[in-house]
Amino acid sequence: MKFNEQQIAEFNRLVARYPEGKQKSALLPVLHLAQESFGGWLSTETMNYVAELLNITPIEVYEVATFYSMYNLKPVGKHVFEVCQTGPCMINGSDNIINYIKEKLKIEIGETTPDGMFTLKTVECLGACGYAPMMQMGKFYKEHLTKEKVDNIIEECRKNAALNN
Amino acid sequence: MSKKLLLEKAHVEGIRFYDVYRREGGYNSVEKTLKTLSPEAVVEEVKKSGLRGRGGAGFPTGMKWSFIAKPEGVPRHLVCNADESEPGTFKDRYLMEFLPHLLIEGLIISSYALGSNDTYIYIRGEYAWIVDILEQAIEEAKANGWLGKNILGSGFNCNIHVQRGAGAYICGEETALIESLEGKRGNPRIKPPFPAIKGLWERPTVVNNVETLAAIVPIINMGGEEYAKIGVGRSTGTKLISACGNINKPGVYEIDMTISVEEFIYSEEYCGGIANGKKLKACIPGGSSVPILPANLLLKTAKGETRYMNYESLSDGGFATGSMMGSGGFIVLDEDQCVVKHTYTLARFYHHESCGQCSPCREGTIWLDKLLYKLEHGQGKLSDIDLLWDVQRRIEGNTICPLGDAAAWPVAAAIRHFRDEFEWHVNNPQESQIKNFGLAHYADAIQPITV
Repeated sequence: MKFNEQQIAEFNRLVARYPEGKQKSALLPVLHLAQESFGGWLSTETMNYVAELLNITPIEVYEVATFYSMYNLKPVGKHVFEVCQTGPCMINGSDNIINYIKEKLKIEIGETTPDGMFTLKTVECLGACGYAPMMQMGKFYKEHLTKEKVDNIIEECRKNAALNN
Repeated sequence: MSKKLLLEKAHVEGIRFYDVYRREGGYNSVEKTLKTLSPEAVVEEVKKSGLRGRGGAGFPTGMKWSFIAKPEGVPRHLVCNADESEPGTFKDRYLMEFLPHLLIEGLIISSYALGSNDTYIYIRGEYAWIVDILEQAIEEAKANGWLGKNILGSGFNCNIHVQRGAGAYICGEETALIESLEGKRGNPRIKPPFPAIKGLWERPTVVNNVETLAAIVPIINMGGEEYAKIGVGRSTGTKLISACGNINKPGVYEIDMTISVEEFIYSEEYCGGIANGKKLKACIPGGSSVPILPANLLLKTAKGETRYMNYESLSDGGFATGSMMGSGGFIVLDEDQCVVKHTYTLARFYHHESCGQCSPCREGTIWLDKLLYKLEHGQGKLSDIDLLWDVQRRIEGNTICPLGDAAAWPVAAAIRHFRDEFEWHVNNPQESQIKNFGLAHYADAIQPITV
């Protein structure tokens, strides 16, 4: 397991933002980079590699990786639906959206579809309360969700997967 | 029409990009600052402006800046708190997404005032695409000589770096943010020492909210005294309000803090009234941590006076009958909403987000979450309501950081104002699962108006 040339360049850019000897400060962004680079989750091996790169102890990486909710410590599907369920989204029907996704994909919260395409997660407030209900999907937000919109999103993911095959 | 100082140009096409932003008068305040003002003079202008921190606490910004220590040979840092994560709040996102250069402009002036050569924007991890927007804006500013070495020949050097968080509400607390920026868990630090003395890497540090830093631009452009003339009393300038919930027009609005709550909710210029012709039941006016108010106490104070959208008026009556301006996250609940359920989702949020450092918060938020779950799902006892009250009281004031208070306040206010709704859930366990308690008496004496 190693970053490729491009990933190493990004790693160097991240570390260069901090004063000398303070490279540990780059840990959060570097973990994001590692997660994106190595299959969408952080294995122990990945975390050990990050520790080595930043010249810190593995435990310093583990304690951070387990603290922040955006790091996946188990494998996830190709597309992760992170549906907000906090107050303002709840008012606007996030429960219905979560139930609909569960029914449609036949998975429970925290599970991944057997084909490895989708993981459903519930999350707490993502700062899109005015555009509720909403979910995060990769780097972007999907807002003003309706059942039809969820259908379209799922269909598009499947189409893209078929194209790439 | 409220005066707009921050969002005036938000709808100009292409304002996100440097050329358009500059053409519209962007970066003039940096020129004015670096050519005519000393760092001390900038702090003085901000003091005169009466600007109060827009992140939630409302502490006077100029005063905060004046606390920064200046030990010989030790670098100082300005950190922009873009870890917007208070439920109901999405104003900073709007600013950064549509007016990134406004934030950069404010950051350059503020960095100059504080003597920060390396300034950091700590943005919540979920706002991943905004990181790209900000980094592009920083590159543009650098290419045009507003960042980097010896800016405009002033001898002042400044670089801005964007650091992404990874999903932790607690990192919006300034010392937790600093810990996170150092690559650690977001555990708040014990104060003192305050960040102004020992902050990032034990160096003097000031942490300010996105909106606060953006507001520095109009303050420099118009002068602190002129800025202070806008608004009322100690609520000077303009404030961004992110309105959501059961309203016709959710979104981010800039207000000058002289309008009434009633006008804000019902006028077409702002929220446009309650959605689907429903009635107003309750509102959390300043982000999920501040006390919820029933409609009658929201629109009028306990003394029967009109309530206004400013720091003083929203907190009129203290926690007994008032609330807070907070972060400006304005959550409106209509007659169909269940206060018990809403409070439960907030308690679950705080349980999820407690860092686990202090026992009262770590254990207390679990209790709040569990008790509210029971009550909401028709499994509660009347004594659970008292227990809930007892638990929140034991959290408040007993933790290192204000997350404990933030978890306790919404629960306390919900019981204080909506106790009969909690009791109804206990006494009607089956009925409460299929229908809502409704308005009851909360909206008594409130005649919906059209402004």
